[in-house]
Amino acid sequence: MTTLVIQGLLNGIILGVLYGLIGVGLNVIFGVLRVVNFAHGEFLVLGAYFAFVLMTALGIGPMVSLPLAFIVFFAVGYALYFVLIPRLSKSDDPETSSLLLMFGVSIMLGAIMLLVFEADARSLQLDIEPVFLMLGGLLIPTVRLIALLIALVMIALLAYFLYKTQVGKALRAIIMNRDAVRIVGINAERLSAVAFGLGIGLAAVTGVLVAMVFPSFSPFMGNDYTLIGFIVIVLGGLGHPIGALVGALLFGITEQVSVVFFNPSIATMLGFGLMVGMIFIKPTGLFGRQALR
Amino acid sequence: MNSPHDPPVAQTGDHRGQDMRADQLRTQIAMAIFAVLTIAMAVVPSVTGNVSLAFYLMLWVTMASAMNICVGFTGYMPFGFVVFYGVGAYATGICYRILDWPILPSLIAAGVVGVMISLLLAPTLRLKGVYFGIVSLALATIVRLFIANLPDDFTGGSIGLILAKANNPTHSYYAMLVVMAATLATVLWLSTSSLGKALKAIRDDDGAAACIGIHVPNTRLKAWVLAALFPALAGGIEAWYTNVVDPEYAFNVLVTAKSIIYGMAGGFGTILGPVIGTLALLGVDHLIWQKFPVINLLLLGLVIVLLMLFMPRGIVGTLLKRKPQLRRYIA
Repeated sequence: MTTLVIQGLLNGIILGVLYGLIGVGLNVIFGVLRVVNFAHGEFLVLGAYFAFVLMTALGIGPMVSLPLAFIVFFAVGYALYFVLIPRLSKSDDPETSSLLLMFGVSIMLGAIMLLVFEADARSLQLDIEPVFLMLGGLLIPTVRLIALLIALVMIALLAYFLYKTQVGKALRAIIMNRDAVRIVGINAERLSAVAFGLGIGLAAVTGVLVAMVFPSFSPFMGNDYTLIGFIVIVLGGLGHPIGALVGALLFGITEQVSVVFFNPSIATMLGFGLMVGMIFIKPTGLFGRQALR
Repeated sequence: MNSPHDPPVAQTGDHRGQDMRADQLRTQIAMAIFAVLTIAMAVVPSVTGNVSLAFYLMLWVTMASAMNICVGFTGYMPFGFVVFYGVGAYATGICYRILDWPILPSLIAAGVVGVMISLLLAPTLRLKGVYFGIVSLALATIVRLFIANLPDDFTGGSIGLILAKANNPTHSYYAMLVVMAATLATVLWLSTSSLGKALKAIRDDDGAAACIGIHVPNTRLKAWVLAALFPALAGGIEAWYTNVVDPEYAFNVLVTAKSIIYGMAGGFGTILGPVIGTLALLGVDHLIWQKFPVINLLLLGLVIVLLMLFMPRGIVGTLLKRKPQLRRYIA
């Protein structure tokens, strides 16, 4: 029993870090643009398909498609920003409007994937030896361990980018105070596009990792991942990149440990319950400062 | 109270009279349009045997108008709106099929369960804006998972429930008509009643509303419960009409999506908007849906995006913005 719980804990950490990447992407976009990216999960699944197509058509493995996915989707996000977001600022309630707008984008992307890739569940076939690693009685799939390592490297890179580089510092400055950033002469428009590209790129990369870790993916799964991302950022605090990671670990561990005791959908419900509980105790999330908005 | 620059005190009495007359005129026009719609729908079954389009027209007018009670009057965007519809369908299915109730009490049960769920979710009204939207979506998912986890001989599992004996398209058609009329009447009443005015005051500035003595949480709660009641009834009646409660469809996010799209196309916050939006879009939707379901999905998404980018106020809302003098006639 203890082994099972520890196993659940370990799975929770691995998935938690992946969920964290979803949440960080969402929070970068929300923090900088005040846009709630309802289509995040769809971009994630699109990233998974990207890796799938590269692998089946060109024989390119996930290690190469990871950086490729980021570059391609960053460019897509950067361009998409100028199509979608600037007009929103004219609306009465930009935040809720953004949620609706991206809801529409999410439905469109889901339908496009359904048209192009059809409804069958796909999976990324990886040949990694050995399939499982034994660690003191614990059985860990090697792919999951690799995915965990990649995710950790990505988080380190992201942290370096946000805290040490000029552009990253400017992004965080926008999160803190958008008007002041304009006063000191930073081009907020272009940076916003960078933030949107970064968020979408992160979603795609997470998608490649998710395709490695989970047995299958299909065009319908986008919403589930978006929802997980939402829960994670509500737990950690809306717009707070680090908070998203902590919230994700909390959610991942709760979910995976309760899988040991209950059936999977009850485990998901418990994870959601965690979010509801958080709202009652501290509606701003673990790291949120601003009240409710 | 419509003009922002009220003249000196001496004339306000006169202006108030004018405002009231304009209010009455607007309400009467809306009432007339609703009455025409209701009567037209009542006549449909005697003209044609194929009532499906008319039935769904009434269903979506109900859903979009109920959405409008929430979005237009309170400013809350419930992304988990489908939950009320879903529990309504299941309540009717379970009461009729499993508990062997007659159909009418089963439908009433749908309304009661919808109201109960809305009371259960009421604490989320403390949240605002996107927070509320996200949390509402998550809660809807919890309710869906909860129902999916109930024992199979209670909910029919993944097959759903079949209400074979109840099949009566004509009766269910008229039931839907009654619910639609009730929804429209409620919206009309809200637009003139003090409750509706209090709601709009809260939507625009809850702090100021509280200052002038409006009990903000209670007032919001009333709108929330109303917004939940009608979709729950609609869900129950749809289950009766189609004879099935389908677990895939009952909690499908598209139900929320369509309620939002139809309402938004017409214009939330206006009385006529959701009705006009539904009339404008449902026919197109119905034609395309039958032939190309996936393309329909794509178009739905595209319509939302285009509406948000180019016409966020909807047909009626944009019209009122372009030609403010129409405010005298259009509510």
